[in-house]
Amino acid sequence: MFKLSETDINESELRKETRDPACGGFVCFEGWVRDHNQGKNVQELAYEAYPKLAIKEGNKIIAEAINKFAIKKAICTHRVGLLEIGDMAVWVGVSAAHRDAAFKACRYILDEVKSRVPIWKNETWVDGESGWIEQDSTIMD
Amino acid sequence: MKNITILFFGKLKETWNTSQLKQQTTSATIQELYTELLQLTDEEPHKGSIKVAINDEFVTWNTNIKDNDVIAFLPPASGG
Repeated sequence: MFKLSETDINESELRKETRDPACGGFVCFEGWVRDHNQGKNVQELAYEAYPKLAIKEGNKIIAEAINKFAIKKAICTHRVGLLEIGDMAVWVGVSAAHRDAAFKACRYILDEVKSRVPIWKNETWVDGESGWIEQDSTIMD
Repeated sequence: MKNITILFFGKLKETWNTSQLKQQTTSATIQELYTELLQLTDEEPHKGSIKVAINDEFVTWNTNIKDNDVIAFLPPASGG
């Protein structure tokens, strides 16, 4: 299941949701807001989404992962709104009978979410300026 | 003449200086509408990187527009 969250991501709750008695492995990725990007000192950032389409596309990616890899459950939650340094921006968790599929599926979900789900990052830097960020973390012209 | 709603996201909000436009159009396709919208901005967005959606579904540039459609222009995603 893919969700957008306007408040702090509750990773222990998500981890519980991912548990399954048939699973022997769990792989998780947490993306955090870092204090620098492209040589600039980041003050804070804001994620904007097109919610209906983001949830639809995110769930499509989860379904693809379940179809492609031998996994049991997969969950991804992405923050929207204003985030501070150190806040969690995205959480991906995958449970599977064996570790290999869980690692691969976790990577797949994260990569696809980053490139396909309509969410946009706007950074505000310590110098007071701000800008939209590209998929590869560069600053848009 | 069709009544449509246009949504802009991310940097494209700044390009058109708004997040939403209510518009009447004679454009038949998204491509035609986009050409029409370029007259409202001095900027030249990189069209190749823009994705389009109608009524919360991704569509192609040659998709036909219908009355009451909600059409979204989306810059490249940068979540994660």
